[in-house]
Amino acid sequence: MLDTAMSELTFARVWAPLIYLYGIGGLFFLGGMLLSTRSKSLDRSTKDGKMWFRILLFGYGWYLFIHTSLTLAALYLK
Amino acid sequence: MSMTIPWIVMALYFILVMGFGSMFGRYTKSTADFFFGGRRFSWWLIAMSILATGVGSHSFVKYSAKAFQHGFSSTMTYMNDWFFMPFFMFGWLPLIYYSRVSSVPEYFERRFDYKARFLATIALFFYMIGYISIGFLTIGKALQPMLPDFLNILGMNFNLHGDAGLMNIIIFTAVITGIYITYGGQTAVIFTDLLQGFILIFAGLLVLFLGFSYLGGFESFWHHLPTHFKLPLAHFNQPGGFNFVGIFWQDGIAGSIGFLFMNQGLIMRFLATRSVNDGKKAAAFNVLIILPISAIVVSGAGWIGHAIYQGQGIIPGIPAGIIPMNLDVDEIFTIASKIVATPLVFGFIMAAVTAALMSTVDTLINATAAIFINDIWLPAEKVLIRRSKGSRLQQDDKYYLKVARWSSIVITAIGVVGVLAFKNFATLYEAHGFFHSTLTPPLIVAIFLGIFWKRFTTSAVLWTFLGGSTLMIVGATWPEIFIRPFAQGSAMSGGKYIYISALYNILVCVGVGVIVSFFTKQKTEEELDGLTIWSVDRARWKFKGGKPNDRPGEKVKLRYKIDDSGELARFAVVDMDRMGMDQDDLVYLCDSRAWLGGLKSVHTRAGKPHQEPGVVYITSALEETALFNIKSIVVAEKEM
Repeated sequence: MLDTAMSELTFARVWAPLIYLYGIGGLFFLGGMLLSTRSKSLDRSTKDGKMWFRILLFGYGWYLFIHTSLTLAALYLK
Repeated sequence: MSMTIPWIVMALYFILVMGFGSMFGRYTKSTADFFFGGRRFSWWLIAMSILATGVGSHSFVKYSAKAFQHGFSSTMTYMNDWFFMPFFMFGWLPLIYYSRVSSVPEYFERRFDYKARFLATIALFFYMIGYISIGFLTIGKALQPMLPDFLNILGMNFNLHGDAGLMNIIIFTAVITGIYITYGGQTAVIFTDLLQGFILIFAGLLVLFLGFSYLGGFESFWHHLPTHFKLPLAHFNQPGGFNFVGIFWQDGIAGSIGFLFMNQGLIMRFLATRSVNDGKKAAAFNVLIILPISAIVVSGAGWIGHAIYQGQGIIPGIPAGIIPMNLDVDEIFTIASKIVATPLVFGFIMAAVTAALMSTVDTLINATAAIFINDIWLPAEKVLIRRSKGSRLQQDDKYYLKVARWSSIVITAIGVVGVLAFKNFATLYEAHGFFHSTLTPPLIVAIFLGIFWKRFTTSAVLWTFLGGSTLMIVGATWPEIFIRPFAQGSAMSGGKYIYISALYNILVCVGVGVIVSFFTKQKTEEELDGLTIWSVDRARWKFKGGKPNDRPGEKVKLRYKIDDSGELARFAVVDMDRMGMDQDDLVYLCDSRAWLGGLKSVHTRAGKPHQEPGVVYITSALEETALFNIKSIVVAEKEM
C-alpha cells in the first residue's frame, strides 16, 4: 500500500528528476521566451515588456529555488 | 450524534454558497454576461476564483491519496506549469482576447476552416463532458464515506450504499449544481469561486495545522516521515504507477498545455478579465503564488495521514490501528480530517472540499454550454436561416440566453450519465489519467502548432486529428512495440504505460502535423492576420478597429452625467489629455471602489470631447450595462 520500495536515495531518486525537470522543461521555457520576443508579442523595448520579461525569468528561478530547497531540506534537515 | 453536526454545518455552508452565487445572477443580462461576465473583472478577482476551479479539478481526494502513498512528490503536478507561461501569456491569451472568439473551436474555424472547427468541437465536447463526469464521481466518492447506508427524507427512503447509492448522491449534487449555474451564469460562478477560493486555502491549511498539533508539533510530523517521502519529486522512472518522467510528460507537458490552452472553463475565466494585461497578471499570480499553496492545501491530509500511520502506537495519545493497514487510499482525506478535527470543524472542512469540486463542475458546465451555443447551435441555426430563404430570422440575445440556460441543464444531466463510463476504474487517478492521455494530445498539438507555427496547414490539422488518433490507437494496442522506445525505463502498470504514453501520443500527433504541413499549401499572411503569435499586434489593431494608442496616460476619477443624445461616453478635453486619450479610443469605466473588482464597470469608446472637467457624459444604456448608480464616482482609463 505504501511506497517503501523507492526509499533508496540514489541519483535516479533524488537528482535526476530535478535535472530533467529544469533541463527539458527549461527547453520548452526557452522556446516560449524566444517565440514571444522574436514575434514582438513580448516587446522588450517597452517598460511593460521589460517587466514581464523579468517576471517570466523570475518564475523559472522561483520554482527551481522551491524544488532545490525542498530537496536539500528532505536530505539534510533532521 | 457525532455525524449530525458535520451534516448540519455542510447544509448551512451549501445554502450560504448557493445564496451568494445566486445573488450575482441578477447581473446576468446577456449571453456575454452569462459566459464571460461582461469581460470586466480585475486580475485579483479572477486569480482567486481560478483557485477554486483549479483545486477542485485536482481534488483533495485524489492528491491526498497520492500524498499518503508517495509523500511530498504529490505536489509535482501543481508545480510544473511555469514552463508554458510565455506561450500562454504572450501567445494564446492575447490572440483569443483580441480576436473576440468565444471558444476554442471558433478559433479553429478562423485559423483553419469549418471542418477543423467541427473536429475540434467534437474533441472538446467529449473532453468537457468527461471532465464534468469525473467531477461528479469525485464528489460522490468524497461524500459517500460520511453517509449512512440509507437516508429517510419526508417518508422516502434513499439508498446511499454501493454503486446505486453513489449515483443517488451524484444526482442530488447535480441538481444543486445545476440550479445556480443555470440561474446565475459566469458572474455567479466567478463570485462563488472567489468566496470558495479563500475558504479552501483556509480549510486545507487548517487540516495541516490541526494535524501538526495532533502529532505533537511540526518536529514530530517531520521526524515521523522517512527521507525519501519528503523529496519533492518522485523516483525518475519507478514504479510504473507513479514515476517522475511519466508524470512530467503526461501532466507537466500534456496536462499543462491542456489546462492552459484547451480548458474552455479556464479560458472563459481569463476572457472575463477587464484587459489582456489583467489576464496576464491573473495567470502569473495564479501560477507563482496560488499553485504552490494549492499543492500544500490538497496534499496536507495525506502527509498528516502518513505521519499518523507511522507514529500510531508510538506517539503518546495516538492509538495503534487508528489508520488501518487495509484502508482504501481514496478515503484518506476524509479519515485524516476526521481524526484531527472536531465534528464541527470536520463538517466545515468537508463542506469546503465538496463545494470546491462543485466549483469545478459548475465552471465546466458553463463552459460546455458556451461550446454548445457557439459551436453547435449558432452554426446550425445559420444553416437553417440560409436554407429558409428569409422565413426564419436571427433571434435576439434573450432567446440565446434562454437556450444557454436550458443547455446547462441538459449538459448537467449528460455529465451525470457519463459517470457510468468512469465509475468502474480502480481509482479516480486512473480514470483521470486514462481520460487525459487519450483525449488531449491531438487537440493540444493542433492548438499549439496553430498558434506558433505559421506553416501549419489546414490539411495538416485534419490529419493531426485523424491520423494522430489512429497512431495513438495503434500505440495503445501494441505498447511494447510502439511506446516502450519512448518509456525511458519506466515500467508498465496494469499492462499499460499509464503516463509516458502521453509522450508517444504527442510525438505522433506532432509528426503527422509537421509532415503533412510540408506537403500541403500554407495559408497566406493576409489569411493568418491576427491569428498567430507572429501577428498579435495586428490582432490588437483589429480589436480596436484602428491603430492602437499606446501614448502614456493616467487614470482619472470622474462624476458621470446622463446624455442620451448619441455618443456613448464623452470626456472633457483636459481629462482626455491626462489620460493620453484621443477621440474613438477604447476606454474602461469602473466604479471607484476597487474592492468590487470591476463588477460595476464597462468598456466603451471615447466620443466627441466637451469642456466640463471632472465629468463624463454617458448614455443611460451604458449606465445600465455598467451597473452604475448616479452616486457612483467612476475611474476612467484609456485602453488603447
